[in-house]
Amino acid sequence: MSAENLEPVEAFGARAAHWMQGHLPRWDDELMSERELQNLLFDHGFAGIAFPRRYGGAGLTLEHQRAFVEETAVQDRQLPIANRVSIGMVGPTILQHGSDEAKARFLPPLLRGDALWIQLLSEPQGGSDMAATMTRLTHDGVTYVLNGSKMWSSGALDADYGLCLCRSNWGLPKHRGLSMIAVPLKGTSGITIVPTRGASGLMSDHCEEFFDDVMLPAQNLIGAENEGWAVARTLLLHERNTVGNVGYGRLVGRRERGPKRVFGGEPAAASATAAIARRRLDAVGTMVVDAYIQSVVVPLTSARVMAGLYAGTYKGQWGSLAKLQATVAAQASVRTAMAAQGADGVIWDGEEVRTDNVGTTWLESRGGTIAGGTNEIQRNIISERLLELPREPAPDQHLPFDETLRNSGRR
Amino acid sequence: MVSDETVSPAESYGDIGDGETGRERPALNRIRPRRCEQSEDDMQIDLSEEQEFFRASTRRFIEVETPLGVVRDLYETRDGFDRGWWRKAAELGWTSLFVPEQLGGGVLSGRPTCDAVMVAEEMGRLVSPGPFLPVNVVAAAIARAGSEQQCAAVLPGLLSGVTVATWAICEPQGRWELQDIETTATRQGRNIVLDGTKAYVEALGCANHVLVTARTDDGITQVLVPVETPGVTATLGRSIDMTRRFGSIRFDEVVLPQSAVVGEFAGASEQVGCQMELAIALQCAELVGVADRTLEFTLQYGRERSAFGRSIMSYQALKHRIADMAVLLEGSKAITDALAAAIDERAATRSGLASIAKAYVGTHALDIVDDCVQITGGIGVTWEHDIHLYNRRAAVNRAVFGTPEDHKQKLLVEVAALDEVSA
Repeated sequence: MSAENLEPVEAFGARAAHWMQGHLPRWDDELMSERELQNLLFDHGFAGIAFPRRYGGAGLTLEHQRAFVEETAVQDRQLPIANRVSIGMVGPTILQHGSDEAKARFLPPLLRGDALWIQLLSEPQGGSDMAATMTRLTHDGVTYVLNGSKMWSSGALDADYGLCLCRSNWGLPKHRGLSMIAVPLKGTSGITIVPTRGASGLMSDHCEEFFDDVMLPAQNLIGAENEGWAVARTLLLHERNTVGNVGYGRLVGRRERGPKRVFGGEPAAASATAAIARRRLDAVGTMVVDAYIQSVVVPLTSARVMAGLYAGTYKGQWGSLAKLQATVAAQASVRTAMAAQGADGVIWDGEEVRTDNVGTTWLESRGGTIAGGTNEIQRNIISERLLELPREPAPDQHLPFDETLRNSGRR
Repeated sequence: MVSDETVSPAESYGDIGDGETGRERPALNRIRPRRCEQSEDDMQIDLSEEQEFFRASTRRFIEVETPLGVVRDLYETRDGFDRGWWRKAAELGWTSLFVPEQLGGGVLSGRPTCDAVMVAEEMGRLVSPGPFLPVNVVAAAIARAGSEQQCAAVLPGLLSGVTVATWAICEPQGRWELQDIETTATRQGRNIVLDGTKAYVEALGCANHVLVTARTDDGITQVLVPVETPGVTATLGRSIDMTRRFGSIRFDEVVLPQSAVVGEFAGASEQVGCQMELAIALQCAELVGVADRTLEFTLQYGRERSAFGRSIMSYQALKHRIADMAVLLEGSKAITDALAAAIDERAATRSGLASIAKAYVGTHALDIVDDCVQITGGIGVTWEHDIHLYNRRAAVNRAVFGTPEDHKQKLLVEVAALDEVSA
């Protein structure tokens, strides 16, 4: 569609504002299921706002998407959160790298929320050096066969599909022998999914998946065989964007400031922190104020990055910057709440693990700076790709991958 | 940098990244960075064509008129800037942004604070001299709250750059808050009598008018005082900044006519808030320019240095720190921009945003410059290297109009009230 035929952002925003008053429940109404919410958005033309119409999107732009989510924040309307991986990360990756057939087949159910997607990237032996993937994809002449295991995959138990990075050629250098393939997770034989127990003692939604001779048709490849690294990089970019709340991943608006926003965690615990702040004008007070300052600066920064990407003055992987900032700040805010609450923050009456305890929230929050590419990897990306500083030497970059494995004693 | 091929001081004016004016220092030259072009990135993202033009001409003016070599020369002078140069800056529009056209000013975009922070940021990038902040704060206050007579008497001189005005709010021992003010303005018949001492008054040595914020029994009063008034004693001082001069001013039963009052007698506290917010916005924008430029030339330098057989900038020990600096810089730009916009929109959030901006940018701009010194190494702590010019400006801006710690103390009160408003 040519630019001049697009609905102006303001008109779209007004239309969306009016629509959500009649259709989207507020956060303090009864919670609608994620899938119902996504169905509702899709059926009224508000899912995949920046995706082309022929794949079920609204055919508009990221600026329209931003206008929509900001309006939901203003009106405090419910939005699906769990399928951010599908909509914010996998969707735009398939849009960029999938064949016409793959896009037509995968995108409409993804955007409608009928097919929930996850990423299958990290493995038990590591995730930062993602191109060192060991999961094996072979071709038996008719179909592909997948063997190996993935780890830290969020939401695998509920998901319909996983986008899986695997090694299809072991004789090529590590980045050049990878492929990306869509794996149906429900009702496929040879797949075992085991949830991982988090440090807090609660079962997390992270899972480990085992693949034993999983048969997959060639049409499930996203991108060409052995060209999966380019697809993975796109996927990771959208992951950082989603965590940093920019780009296709800008799926939540800026909510009004309140203790929950400032201190994270459960509302009761957040209010308790604010109450403590009232009587602790000391070292704890300084931490509390720093958390407060970050709660204002972080959303302003992601909005700025978003505006820069949209205006074209920012190019490249700015999502990494937003991700790094947001996750450090989120963790610090929970740590602050824990410091403010002292013993009450980590000790409680009763037998059960309490989810409203700030110490529990803190244990869970530790993943933020690790998931989505560790913050050390984000710092590499910012310095090497945004600021164009020289790369760390990588002795394995041009070696055949099986030779790298022999050199490092892993094989 | 101005390196071996430099032939004349005139040519060195184009040489923006360096303060050297051709003196031979072969031993140092080998480890100093080459000339580093200024990047085109700037703080605000959506600039109009007029704003873009204004920013470009501002940058060019600074590059040509006051490159770092000139800033170094101004260190030796009393005022820290040249009055003829300031008139040229005024012609460029530096003093007219907050004055409406009918009063002789010139509005650029209709968002004067957003325009002014562009100038402040550019000034920070080359640690420029000049009383940009106090003159604009006073001009904005007079244009907004002053009488017709005050506008006619004071604004033309400020607009043309022939006269200079400054703002005296702070009291000795670093007291910035309205409740700390001990200087009094008392009614005595048809006159006002001013008593007390103000400190950290920028550009006092060349100011013709001083806007004084004083206490009156039932409120805050602002008075515009000509420096020549009997009973006024100015004590000039310096700061660690190369060109920014300050001073203290004492008022011993200074008698002024009623017409010297700016705005309402005993009713100026809101206006003072506006002045403080503007001052902080300009100060933070300058800090953004300081930090941005320091990071820029430090990276350039680091790319050319090697240790243990590879570029020092390929080590994660440095790269990760630099990535963190990039985050802090981006956050600083975002909050400063938001503050400027809030001031222009007269948003209710602007006072809180000003404290947040000062706390965040004030802290992190100095952190960035200081860590850049560390990365630059030994040459970074010499007089020859320009980075100390940036450290000086960052430290002075951090301290004036409330330290980040002062503003955090204020914010704590706001945070403590949070759950009551959102419950």
